[in-house]
Amino acid sequence: MKISKAVITAASPRQRALPLQTLVDRDGVQKSVLRIIVEEALRAGVEEIAIVVCPDDEAAYAGAAGDLAARLTFVPQPAPRGYGHAVYCARDFTGQEPFLHLVGDHLWVSRNGQGCAEQLVEAAEREACAISAVQASRETLLPYFGAVGGRRVPGRQDLYVIENVLEKPTPTEAEQHLLVPGLRAGHYLCFFGLHVLTASVMELLGRAIRAGQEHVTLSQALAELAAQERHLALERPWNRYDVGVQYGLLTAQLALALAGRDRERVLALLLELLAQREAAA
Amino acid sequence: MDAFARAATRDELLAECAELDAFRRASRNLYERVRALFFLYAIHRFHLPAKPGVAARGFIPFDGYTYLLRRRFEEAIDVFLRAQASQGPNESVSSALAEAYHRLGFQTLADQVRRSVRSVRGNQWMFRLGHPADQPLRVRPELLARPSNDAPYPLLMEATPVRMDLSHSAWSDIFFLGMDFPEGARVLNVSIDLGVRGRDAAPRPPVEAYFRVIDEPVLRLASVDLAARAEITSLAEVFDFARDYLGLLKAALIAAGLIPPGMEGSEQELTGLLAQLVGPGRGIELVSNVNGIPKGSRLAVSTSLLASLIACCMRATGQAHALTGALAEPERRLVAARAILGEWLAGSGGGWQDSGGVWPGVKLITGQLAGPDDPEYGVSRGRLLPGHRIFGPDEVGPATRQALQDSLVLVHGGMAQNVGPILEMVTEKYLLRSEAEWQGRQEACDVLDEVVAALRAGDVQRIGAVTTRNFFGPIQTIIPWASNLYTERLIGRVRAEFGPQFWGFWMLGGMSGGGMGFIFDPQVKRQAQARMQELMSAGKREVEAALPFAMEPVVYDFAINERGTWARLVEPALLPAGYYALVVPELVRLDRRQLPPARRAELALFAEASRTRPELSGMVQALFDRLLPSGVAQGQAGDRGAAALDALLAEHGFDRVQHEQIRADLKAGRIGLAQNRLPANSDIRDVQPGDVFDASAGATSLAAYRERGLAALRAGAVAVVTLAGGVGSRWTQGAGVVKALHPFCKLGGKHRSFIEVHLAKSRRIARLPGVGTPLPHVITTSYLTHAAIESYLAAENRYGYAGPLHLSPGRNIGLRMIPMARDLRFAWEEMPQQLLDEQAQKVRDSLHAALIAWAQQAGEGGDYTDNLPDQCLHPVGHWYEVPNMLKNGVLARLLAANSHLQYLMVHNVDALGADVDPGVLGWVIEQGATFTAEVITRCLEDRGGGLARVDGRLRLLEGLALPHEEDEFDLSYYNSNTSWLHIDRLLAVFGLTRADLDDAEKVAQAVRAIAARMPTYVTLKDVKKRWGHGQEDIFPVAQFEKLWGDMTALPDLECRFIAVPRRRGQNLKDQAQLDGWLRDGSAAYVESLCEWDAA
Repeated sequence: MKISKAVITAASPRQRALPLQTLVDRDGVQKSVLRIIVEEALRAGVEEIAIVVCPDDEAAYAGAAGDLAARLTFVPQPAPRGYGHAVYCARDFTGQEPFLHLVGDHLWVSRNGQGCAEQLVEAAEREACAISAVQASRETLLPYFGAVGGRRVPGRQDLYVIENVLEKPTPTEAEQHLLVPGLRAGHYLCFFGLHVLTASVMELLGRAIRAGQEHVTLSQALAELAAQERHLALERPWNRYDVGVQYGLLTAQLALALAGRDRERVLALLLELLAQREAAA
Repeated sequence: MDAFARAATRDELLAECAELDAFRRASRNLYERVRALFFLYAIHRFHLPAKPGVAARGFIPFDGYTYLLRRRFEEAIDVFLRAQASQGPNESVSSALAEAYHRLGFQTLADQVRRSVRSVRGNQWMFRLGHPADQPLRVRPELLARPSNDAPYPLLMEATPVRMDLSHSAWSDIFFLGMDFPEGARVLNVSIDLGVRGRDAAPRPPVEAYFRVIDEPVLRLASVDLAARAEITSLAEVFDFARDYLGLLKAALIAAGLIPPGMEGSEQELTGLLAQLVGPGRGIELVSNVNGIPKGSRLAVSTSLLASLIACCMRATGQAHALTGALAEPERRLVAARAILGEWLAGSGGGWQDSGGVWPGVKLITGQLAGPDDPEYGVSRGRLLPGHRIFGPDEVGPATRQALQDSLVLVHGGMAQNVGPILEMVTEKYLLRSEAEWQGRQEACDVLDEVVAALRAGDVQRIGAVTTRNFFGPIQTIIPWASNLYTERLIGRVRAEFGPQFWGFWMLGGMSGGGMGFIFDPQVKRQAQARMQELMSAGKREVEAALPFAMEPVVYDFAINERGTWARLVEPALLPAGYYALVVPELVRLDRRQLPPARRAELALFAEASRTRPELSGMVQALFDRLLPSGVAQGQAGDRGAAALDALLAEHGFDRVQHEQIRADLKAGRIGLAQNRLPANSDIRDVQPGDVFDASAGATSLAAYRERGLAALRAGAVAVVTLAGGVGSRWTQGAGVVKALHPFCKLGGKHRSFIEVHLAKSRRIARLPGVGTPLPHVITTSYLTHAAIESYLAAENRYGYAGPLHLSPGRNIGLRMIPMARDLRFAWEEMPQQLLDEQAQKVRDSLHAALIAWAQQAGEGGDYTDNLPDQCLHPVGHWYEVPNMLKNGVLARLLAANSHLQYLMVHNVDALGADVDPGVLGWVIEQGATFTAEVITRCLEDRGGGLARVDGRLRLLEGLALPHEEDEFDLSYYNSNTSWLHIDRLLAVFGLTRADLDDAEKVAQAVRAIAARMPTYVTLKDVKKRWGHGQEDIFPVAQFEKLWGDMTALPDLECRFIAVPRRRGQNLKDQAQLDGWLRDGSAAYVESLCEWDAA
């Protein structure tokens, strides 16, 4: 299985400005969030990238991508019909091929310098199946994410066979349907905003949309996917930063800086800030 | 087990006990442990004490008793076992061991239920959350959407039917039973809508829950049916269940996960949690409403309401997929599990079928074997939660359902009783596998199969026959106390009146007398409904002085509910009318500008609806009456109550001067619970050899005196005095009925009251060979009991008693007072208290705090007048009952009728084994003392003093007067309160002679003089206040009393003491004692003393 395409969703009407924000990346260069995500995809060996956007956002996004804009295909989502529908809009772009999918309001940082998407694509190519990055999260965070239930692949610490997927489950549902043996109590595997998906996902999404469902979630299609083909979850000690929440952008910036070239400088800045505050008090 | 124990010798039993005890300590299996504990209990309670070689007298170590109070049962058992080893086997220590094993057995079971409830998947997470930021639930966006910021938020309403149990499968839905014997745990459960006949237009789901978001960061709770509301601003208040009548709503919020149980004690802010749930600045309003269905209906109204509230909260927070309409099966199961959790939190609990109303229609609920995925697996055979199978129309057709509705008359008989003890008895008997009861359980299982078959066949008449057989067969075999005189009379009368058109009786729930079903030929159903109302009301009037009724009986209209619990968004968003009657008076007092806009908009909506909707037509008047509570209507009722109380006080010779003196002493702290005690330096010791004549072996030890006693009986030298002036607060739990008249048990094939038993004993004595002289019998009464006893004796033709029978009416009365907070604290905090199971104890602590606040608010030491007049008065202790016979002329009349009369045997109404035994009488005459007291060896339940040497003087000592709690445990003998008096010598102590009895003034002075030498005890008694639809509150009130046993402290009174067999001397104080009394042979003994009226 070779992954050469990627789909980035950035069509949520409430978050359309997020990918346009600028941050200083690990290499000390100022970039838009969108560009950092595109670079993440490119590091994974992807050749073509589609970005699902709100109608008329193409120009702004192209500007934010800078010189990478030429490698991007913009796919407008005509109406806000949910996350699943946004992914589905890229069906002509992906065709029958598997593809990498990244959400447009997250940034990912790994500890070993290798890109998160890159590692995910490697795993997908090795396992030759759909694979989603997950993170063991406290049940407190359940209202924000899709979550999966399943069991560990024998002999692997970081890989799970997904048996069940629920979008933003209540803790009760999670406890009843998403318990994963070996995880700490009160912890569930939540999606990380990074997936490698097969073409079947587009079919499943299409079926739900044709059935007239108003809002289609990706989780619903992934639950069906897990029932019909092998779908794995990869859990690695990565960090993800949701730039859409309060202080999300700031946290993401600090994380990037502390993982990059300007680490010492930023730490000194932070210390200085703290010291000044203490002195003022 | 019983068969083995009956045949075994003492040593065999002791060896068996040692082995069982070792086994239960070693076993890892829950039910092996529990069953071994119950076997040990039964051997010590019922078998060992009767074996030759087991002493009657022994000492219960006080430290073991304190361990018992603190629920440290294992340590208590070890202490008692060591005592048994050092003292040798004896009845006293066995009674303590029996209690400790029994309690440990129930504790082990309760712990398992608690573990199971917490570990049900879907409940665990709630116990992990300790910080508002952890709360993962969010109120659904649909409930936050409103047309404008001034409009109220949408209102979600859940309507839930109640359940009735169509089979009564012998209480098989008790958790412990289902978890051990899932195959036998089966019930046929029907969801029904209810209406009160003649009041409601049509049946509807009886319970409703309402949920909405509000614009204030508080929890606003309201119970429309209990007329209670509160705005809660702190988490601690949510966990304070007994603070007000909103405990059920609080339990629902917690069990539904909105306020997760893990937050208890976290000291976090409620506003933070609400912000997480509904957003900053917003709160939640939860309202419950029961459509006038009285408590005690045996239809699981409170569990259904809890389930309804939980379901509503779960929908609102996305824990059920559908915001409106029905619930999916897994969601119903979760609601049921959460309802069990909620009941446990609120310190109550029924069976697992009680939330059956959440499911639709007719269903079979069955116990389930625990599987590898269940938390119970490897611990108990069965799961905590049962399985539900709904019968479709193919199994129980629409015609059958209709036929059932056309035949069944559902009623509430009006009685309200606590079924808790019954559920404990059922568990105990199941675990012991007693022969008869086990046979009964098997039969009950067959009954269920027969009911199901009849239902499938559409044969309602057969259902009636089967449920009737069930009631008179297995149910009463297992628990005789499930029936009562009222119910059986009612069934008899219905049967007599409707003949073959009465198809059967059907008991609902824990016991009969409350909710019940009568099945009729559909042709006479309407007529039967009307007639049932009359028959029940008449039946109630006959026995209401003897049995506790909480309300006037009602007949229901009902319909099978085929939807189960069901939710909808209410449009316009108005709560039930009763809610507005509750909140509007307070709101209109506020400045309009202080009301949030949404509240103003809602009130405008309500005002509009009041003008246009016919069901709200009386609202304006209702509100007006509430706004002006001192209005004409209420004022009259209040005045009438006060007038009635004043009249009663005057009629019974209330001594206002003495009352004020007592109040002053009470308020000044000169008297009180702590002051009841003798000085701490009093020398209190047990009896010495020779102090007591040991007749505990019974007839053999008294054979030598029997002839003398028979001669005295023949000569008419003795009369019996039954003390029946008290109401038996412990027996009736403050219900204000007359214990003496309570038809408490079937003896000789009929329900008999205490008085009937006492008269039957006197009848037998008078007819003994060699006697042939009628035995005069006096029943002392008080303002509380006189009229009832008099009219019962007339109605029952004196129970056919041929001898002289006198009532000795009381001449003293007290007015109850609001207790001092000091005394409440003393009773609850300083006296050793029985600690309850964890959650129940929390609830009780919260209740105690609320009651102390009530006393302070209502005015400590003030007159207690906020109740029915009779409930405000109290008898002033049994000391007065004998002197009253001097004052009211009864003694004079007895002596005039028979000048040979010389002895009175005075006994408590609860001393069922006491009779004028010729042997005891002969011994008493031989001794020639003025006062002879009967004592018994002490068992664990015999609390309240005993026979002691106090500063050298041998006397009876009240428990209230003991300076130290532990002193009691060094006393071998307990006061049975049966005493023999020599009339002339007693009169002499009073300074009187027979001739003086005609001189009222002299007698009164003499009585007053001796009364002044008797200590006055301040006591706390529970009194029930009834309100609403069968609701009851229990208040502690202060009263004073003087007690007869203190006569033995008078130096000029010559006393003797005789130890009698336990069966003769024991007093039945508490209804929970009845089952043991029946099973340990005491009932058979009492029956052997009786000769029933042949008429």
